[in-house]
Amino acid sequence: MSRVRPCLRLALALAFALASARGSMASLAETDASDPRAQDHVDAAALYDAGTEALARGDLGPAVTFLLAAYRIDPRARDIRTNLGIARARVEAAEGSGDHGMPPAPPPFALSPAESWHLAAALALAGALVAWMAAARPRARRLLLAGSALFAAGMVFSGALLLRAREEAVHPSAVVVAPVLEVGPAPDERPLPPYLLGAGDEVRLGPSRGDLVQVRVGGNTIGWAKGSGLWRVVDAPRYTRNSGAR
Amino acid sequence: MTGRRIASATFLVSALLALATLLALPRAGACGTSPGGKLSIDATLDVNTVAPGATATLTVQVRSAGLNLPDVTLPPLTVERVGPSKSVEHTPALVERAGTSQSFSMVNNAVERSSTTVYRILPRGEGTIHIPPIRITVGRETAQTSPLTLTVSRTAVSPGPGPGSAVTGPAKTPTGRPEVFVQGAVDRAHVFWNQQILLHLKLYSRVDILGDVDWKPPATAGFWTEGLGPPRRGRVQVRGATYEVMEIPSALFPTKTGKLTIGAAQVRVRVARVVEPPDPWSMLAMPEIVPQDLALTSDPVTVTVDPLPPGAPRGFQGAVGDFRLTVHVDSLTVRAGDPVTVRATIQGTGNIATVRDPEIRGRGVTRQYVVGSSTKVDRSGDQLKGERETDIALIADQPGTLTILPVSFVWFDPEAGRYRLQRSDSVRVTVLPAAGAPAQAGRPGSGYAEAAPRAKPGPFGTLRPDPPPSAVALLGLSAIAYASALAVGGARRKKLRDPRVARLEALEGLLVRDLSRAESLAMRNEAGRAAAIAERALLLGTGIRYDVELSGAAKSERADLLRARGAEGAEVSALESLLDSLGAIAYAPPETRVSDARHAIRAVRERLERYRRELSL
Repeated sequence: MSRVRPCLRLALALAFALASARGSMASLAETDASDPRAQDHVDAAALYDAGTEALARGDLGPAVTFLLAAYRIDPRARDIRTNLGIARARVEAAEGSGDHGMPPAPPPFALSPAESWHLAAALALAGALVAWMAAARPRARRLLLAGSALFAAGMVFSGALLLRAREEAVHPSAVVVAPVLEVGPAPDERPLPPYLLGAGDEVRLGPSRGDLVQVRVGGNTIGWAKGSGLWRVVDAPRYTRNSGAR
Repeated sequence: MTGRRIASATFLVSALLALATLLALPRAGACGTSPGGKLSIDATLDVNTVAPGATATLTVQVRSAGLNLPDVTLPPLTVERVGPSKSVEHTPALVERAGTSQSFSMVNNAVERSSTTVYRILPRGEGTIHIPPIRITVGRETAQTSPLTLTVSRTAVSPGPGPGSAVTGPAKTPTGRPEVFVQGAVDRAHVFWNQQILLHLKLYSRVDILGDVDWKPPATAGFWTEGLGPPRRGRVQVRGATYEVMEIPSALFPTKTGKLTIGAAQVRVRVARVVEPPDPWSMLAMPEIVPQDLALTSDPVTVTVDPLPPGAPRGFQGAVGDFRLTVHVDSLTVRAGDPVTVRATIQGTGNIATVRDPEIRGRGVTRQYVVGSSTKVDRSGDQLKGERETDIALIADQPGTLTILPVSFVWFDPEAGRYRLQRSDSVRVTVLPAAGAPAQAGRPGSGYAEAAPRAKPGPFGTLRPDPPPSAVALLGLSAIAYASALAVGGARRKKLRDPRVARLEALEGLLVRDLSRAESLAMRNEAGRAAAIAERALLLGTGIRYDVELSGAAKSERADLLRARGAEGAEVSALESLLDSLGAIAYAPPETRVSDARHAIRAVRERLERYRRELSL
């Protein structure tokens, strides 16, 4: 029993951590719970259609936002990947940094967040089952090692997903929808020339101060910008009915 | 009569010797060393042939390993000449001792002295001067030179008149090894029209040149001439003599056919001529340096120029050489109204300045402009090379595709003797709508096709990367299951470490695995194998019960071992009886063998179960 207690404690602690992380991230994300479209059942086709329509209009910011949101739900869909690649290529071309070649589409071997979580859980469950098979046999050291490896892989995978979810909760992904967005220092900071972002640029957001929001690129804070020029990807369903004009 | 024969033979030998000397020894010299190696003498003539009245220099060098250095004495010299009556005439040759220098060295306690004596020989008439062996002696050491021969002929090259006067170049070829001469040569004498010819004008000099050289280029009527960089300097050996060379290379391109002549180049140069004092001991024997102006000319060179062969491909515009065409388009996607620049570059070896630009055309082009062209000529190498670039801007006002048609370039390759054609691929440029124009989904000219909108909804999912409740539950369940598996496995391993439990497990294995298999074999009429398995299981089970190893023990030894471990005599007898009955099954009659085996196996099972009960108490 002396060995059983720590293992049980570990398993219970992990389950509690997952549950509490889920709760804390839900509170961090500031979800508009009253909006049913912001809940779990978001239609990827609606997002894709809105993005394709915006892309056809040349409205690159909303196009990238909607298509990124659709890609999160259905990452292996060819049409979503194609149009997202086209939208990103047009963003680069508009900024003069593209090579005018065929746009690079996102990879087809991708999983949605829910699929990733279930894969991690399946790996852990398989490891637990193999460990049980090893426990039922008198000499099954290799089987026990295989089960432990599977369980560890599932736990590591879920840990990585947990970090990703926490990053998204703290610094949500966003897309510039304004034609030109000036990202400069906060009013109380030393004045510096602003960074200029174009429509369709993908950034992450930090804390807010009034109508300003902190903008991060590549893990670094580059300044503050008006929140009206940015759309969070998780909020994309809120704009599908009137895309591009809030 | 005899005297005349001797004179003829002497003349013949002298002539042959002179000829051999001329052919084999560009710079006549004779060297001799004493048998002991301590004394050596070396005599050298600076020329083999000299004109009457001109000066030849004889240098005699003596080396002696010791303090004694002998003096050199040159015998009187005469010019030997066969007269009109075939009689040998002797004309005295004036010999002046120009000077002597001595040196002294001591290396590793070895002393060596040497002296160099210079004689100037001034023959007055034509003929041959035989310089007899020069002999020196120090103590018992004797060394002498080989005889030398100097030919005096009016055909010999004159070094020119006295200093200070301008003279015409004494020689246009190195024959006779003049001090300064100029030479013009081409790398090939038979070429095609407009093929590159390299003309090398070289000034050879064995004396110091004062100031700049005044070159007057040769007349090159019928040639396009391009200079190849600044004069190049070097040092070469010409028939054994070292010359400083100044070369002016040029590239010529014939513009006419037939026999064309490259005229003589004229060079005016001032050289520093060293004049030895008549008395070597006067004025401290310092030679006098006097500037001398020379006017030199090269020989004309004739080149045969062939016309280009017939059958030139369409588009040939007269380029001859070795060329390569590259075409570069600055962008494969442009907006309507924006230019796409096509650059055609021709580079290679040949008269690049006269190469015509290739024609660049496009389909779907509204306007076309020449942005510019440039020619870069590389004169640094041995041949004229370069590249010519032409930039053309093509503009399409309508979205769609602009096709740049293949660009071709034709030239004549003189090395291969045939025409060559290089053609680029056609290039398709995507023309997007002009900036600010309304976009259209899937429009042509966008460069790539957008996927169409979907007709059906779905799939549905979440945008947040938070763990779904089902995944959380599954992960928690997995963690609990894994932890419990570890706990159960640990407890099981701990239990197995108890010896009594381990023996019970082993007995259980015999009952479940071995006896079941024996019973199965007995059912299949394999009574012999079934009895053997049951016998082995019985021995193992009895050994487990009494904690003794019975495998391989003889019957009496087995009984002793069991009694020693506390088995009663009746038990041992019953065991042996059962083992005997199992062993006898193999020899039982076939009609009772299977039933006997079953009975025996059942008895074994009952015994092993009894053992298990006894151990579990």
